[in-house]
Amino acid sequence: MARRTPERWRKLRVKTGFSIYYVIFLLFIYGPMFAMFVLSFQGQRGGTSFPMRGFSLYWWNKLLEPSTVGDMQGAMGRSIILALMVMVLTALFSTMLAMAFRKSFLFSNVLFYTILTGLMVPGVLLSLGMAILLRQLGLAPAWYTSGLAVHVIWALPFGYLVMMAVFNRFDSRLEEAARDMGADEWTVFKEVTFPLITPGVVAAGLFGFTLSYDEFARTTLLAGAQNTLPLDINASMTQRIRPTLFALGTASTLFSLLMISIFLGIYTILYRRSR
Amino acid sequence: MSKVSELYHTGLIGGQPAPDDLAIQAKISHTEEGFATVWLITPAAIWLILFLVVPLVSIVIFSFWENSPQGLSPAFSLEFYGEYFYTKGFFDPDADRFLLPSVFIRTLGSTVYFTLVTMLLCLIVGYPIAYFLAMQVQAFKWQLALFLLCMVPFWTSYLIRAVAWLPMLGRRGLINQALLGLGIVDEPVSFLFYSEFGYTMALVQIYVVLGIGPMFFSLAKIDKDILEAATDMGATPFQIFREIIGPMSLPGVAIGMIFIFVMIMGEFATAVVVYGGKTSTAGTVILNYYGIANYPFAAVNALMLMLAMVIGIVVILRVVDIRKEL
Amino acid sequence: MTAKNGNKKSTGALLKISRRKFMGTAAGIAAAGGITGFPNIVQAADPIRSIGLGVSIINEIQGKAAKDLGFPVRGQALGYGALFGKTLNQNDQYEVSECYFDMFDVMVPSKVFQPIDTTRIRDWDKVSNLTKTGKLTPGSQIGQGDAPFHKLWVDENGAPTKGPSRYISAVPGWHNADSLGYNPKETKRSIDSWAELFSSDFKGRVALLNVPQIGAMDAAMGVEALGLIKFGDKGDMTRKEIDVLVDFLTKKKKEGHFRAFWETFGQSVNLMVSGEVVLQSMWSPAVTAVNAEGVPCIYASPKEGMRGWHGALAISAKASGKQLDQAYEYVNWWLDGWAGAFVARQGYYMSTTANTKKSLPADEWDFWYEGKPAAKELPDPFGTPLVAKGAVRDGGSYEQRFKNIAVWNSIMSENDYLVKRWTEFLTA
Repeated sequence: MARRTPERWRKLRVKTGFSIYYVIFLLFIYGPMFAMFVLSFQGQRGGTSFPMRGFSLYWWNKLLEPSTVGDMQGAMGRSIILALMVMVLTALFSTMLAMAFRKSFLFSNVLFYTILTGLMVPGVLLSLGMAILLRQLGLAPAWYTSGLAVHVIWALPFGYLVMMAVFNRFDSRLEEAARDMGADEWTVFKEVTFPLITPGVVAAGLFGFTLSYDEFARTTLLAGAQNTLPLDINASMTQRIRPTLFALGTASTLFSLLMISIFLGIYTILYRRSR
Repeated sequence: MSKVSELYHTGLIGGQPAPDDLAIQAKISHTEEGFATVWLITPAAIWLILFLVVPLVSIVIFSFWENSPQGLSPAFSLEFYGEYFYTKGFFDPDADRFLLPSVFIRTLGSTVYFTLVTMLLCLIVGYPIAYFLAMQVQAFKWQLALFLLCMVPFWTSYLIRAVAWLPMLGRRGLINQALLGLGIVDEPVSFLFYSEFGYTMALVQIYVVLGIGPMFFSLAKIDKDILEAATDMGATPFQIFREIIGPMSLPGVAIGMIFIFVMIMGEFATAVVVYGGKTSTAGTVILNYYGIANYPFAAVNALMLMLAMVIGIVVILRVVDIRKEL
Repeated sequence: MTAKNGNKKSTGALLKISRRKFMGTAAGIAAAGGITGFPNIVQAADPIRSIGLGVSIINEIQGKAAKDLGFPVRGQALGYGALFGKTLNQNDQYEVSECYFDMFDVMVPSKVFQPIDTTRIRDWDKVSNLTKTGKLTPGSQIGQGDAPFHKLWVDENGAPTKGPSRYISAVPGWHNADSLGYNPKETKRSIDSWAELFSSDFKGRVALLNVPQIGAMDAAMGVEALGLIKFGDKGDMTRKEIDVLVDFLTKKKKEGHFRAFWETFGQSVNLMVSGEVVLQSMWSPAVTAVNAEGVPCIYASPKEGMRGWHGALAISAKASGKQLDQAYEYVNWWLDGWAGAFVARQGYYMSTTANTKKSLPADEWDFWYEGKPAAKELPDPFGTPLVAKGAVRDGGSYEQRFKNIAVWNSIMSENDYLVKRWTEFLTA
């Protein structure tokens, strides 16, 4: 007992230290977001840098109006839909691939490096190569077809490697035990494997969503007649940049935080119920 | 419950990884179990062939084409490869460029150097965060929440965040205002932005989270009972780290480093926004030639960049074979 | 609804085109050559698609065009790189490209556009001589580089011709001349030469445009004004000239002369507003934007002249039938006057000056084109106040500006070499 108490103190100190570091780290990675947040309340005559010229909700109201260049709301909708599709496909493909890689198979090395190649090909050239192929086939590019195709190529290696980390030293004896008890492959996957790898699948999907939502270079020639959000924002930079952009950024940050809180709430409720 | 976790981690007490040959044997013996490999890989493989391999082949073919005022013409020309490597006067001791590699090789070299420095910084900054999330935070719910909190900046378009760098770090930016307000400096400091310092900080800030994810996952799988047991047996925190935590998290570190390595190698936008375009990266070179429709040379540059990336990844995987440790 | 239908139908038509075995690549398009017309592409409800920068693709403009013309015009705004790539590689993805004459060194030989028949352009006579002969007024000097009139005239197959012809590569549109912008409070003197770009008084507070083709020309103006070198043609430099220029720039960069190199309109505005720089190469509407944000900024009129650029409306080689007719209607609509008045309030000029004058209230015309003080507060195109009463547009009248264009935006024949040396400059 006597040994325990200083030990607990030490642990508490370590934990506090790490917590402080975490907060500093958050401040660091949120960096420019603070300027963005403040400037989204810029006065009507101000711009996207300091000094502030008054204080208003003018730019927040502008968010709801149609934009002058492009179609911000529509582009955002398309980007979110695209990101969701990429999220699902990335999670699915990376789980399947990582499961396959638990066994050795022919050309597994080739497949491994091919997946990683998606990470390495410079985006503008992949976009160009695809665009030229589509032309030869006489197919029209669109964000939900050709755009989706290359976004998955981009996100897949991330999801796949995350799943590799998850299956790394994964104990297959649990699965074996289930098999020995007569469970078929689906049941084993559903009841044993999947619950164990859920965090990884979620993470792979999140990677997919995030990477797709933010992707610009790969979409330049493959979005077709309608812009995704990054393309739209890029186009708006050929004009004066208005603080509407910051209102949009702040809004999406707040929205993300809200979604995380809702997610936490749901998780807590479900967790309690399952107890 | 305790039984399961015991099963789950047998062989790890003492920090010895399971012998490789044993793992391989286990692998072989299980080949008939689980879903059929063919079905698991076919959908993704088809997708990869159609949308990656085929365009990639066309990029390779492009790199041999000729570029004339009339546009591209199919050919087998090594002209652009020559252009990439050769500098006038390279072998001529009297030339002022004697043994000076071409600007493209130098740019690639400086990109690699810069990437390595930033990777190291990301590791130093990010590992403790992954450790904190995995080891210090108990509930999975909070682990996930705190991790997601790190992801939130990424859900604001990069292009928007890029505009916000200036009002944050610039002469009239928030930081300078704070420094002036606190009386730490008398006039705005300019080294924060459009500088190598600002550029490095920005890269770490943008990419560190990519490394944290995988590191967090491999750390989270370490059973805390083992650490407890090791402590009880009198192991010092350093010993525990060296014997158990370090080796166990290595695959995660390797994967995280691959992400960061590849992202920064291909980076082009941050150099413009945060460094004020005062440097060239391999990525900006590709973009410059792509921009003037010299696709063959852009392709050559891209292939060389990819080659450098492959070498980097192979080296990382040599150190930690993430596939062997499955 | 209609848009969706149209989309499906044109996809079908594209599939048919593919059977004609296009070579399909950037160059291959050239080989495909003449337009034989694909009847299936013709649909009454088909919208036409127009791509361009945020300078000309603005919802108000295409919306108004659609209303006036009676068919939908789908504008897609892109960044410069995306516009260039899409125009060159995907001419089946647009009917009209609102592009720039300095791209034509690449676009014209690649035959991505079809020659435009001037007899189908209603106001062709009203298009000013700036793009037809290179001289806005008889006494004007012809700028160096790719002056639009060099790129304008083509024969019925789209091959460039020496002089005037019935066919043109694209219809001249909005244009402007760029020079330097500076903050008079910080420079403490007026700037009237490109040489000031390299004045050590502003060391560390200077920015330059980081598009090699154009940035090099701005820098060349400065180096020439300093008397270090006399360029044969700043729009088409020799390797030797590029070497001299880049060596000088590298030296300056190593001294810490440049604060930053900017790439987009918005970046240049923010650099000035936030006080990072006091002098930089700048675009005229960007100067207006800086002023609108309350930071003093003057658009210099250097004695060496300005660097001009010229937008154009080109019709894709793939447009045919009814869509081709509609593309012509849309291009004609641009010259009508309404669009000219709209872009004038952004600080751009339009090729059909007379039509613009008709559509613009007198006090706005006097301010934007004549260089006179604003008689009252003037609005931007969207009706928000932009110019204070009594303000004068820097750079003088339209005529003054365009009489003295030193060089036009160009792609040089040594462009590859320039990009290489520019890379070296930035890496230094």
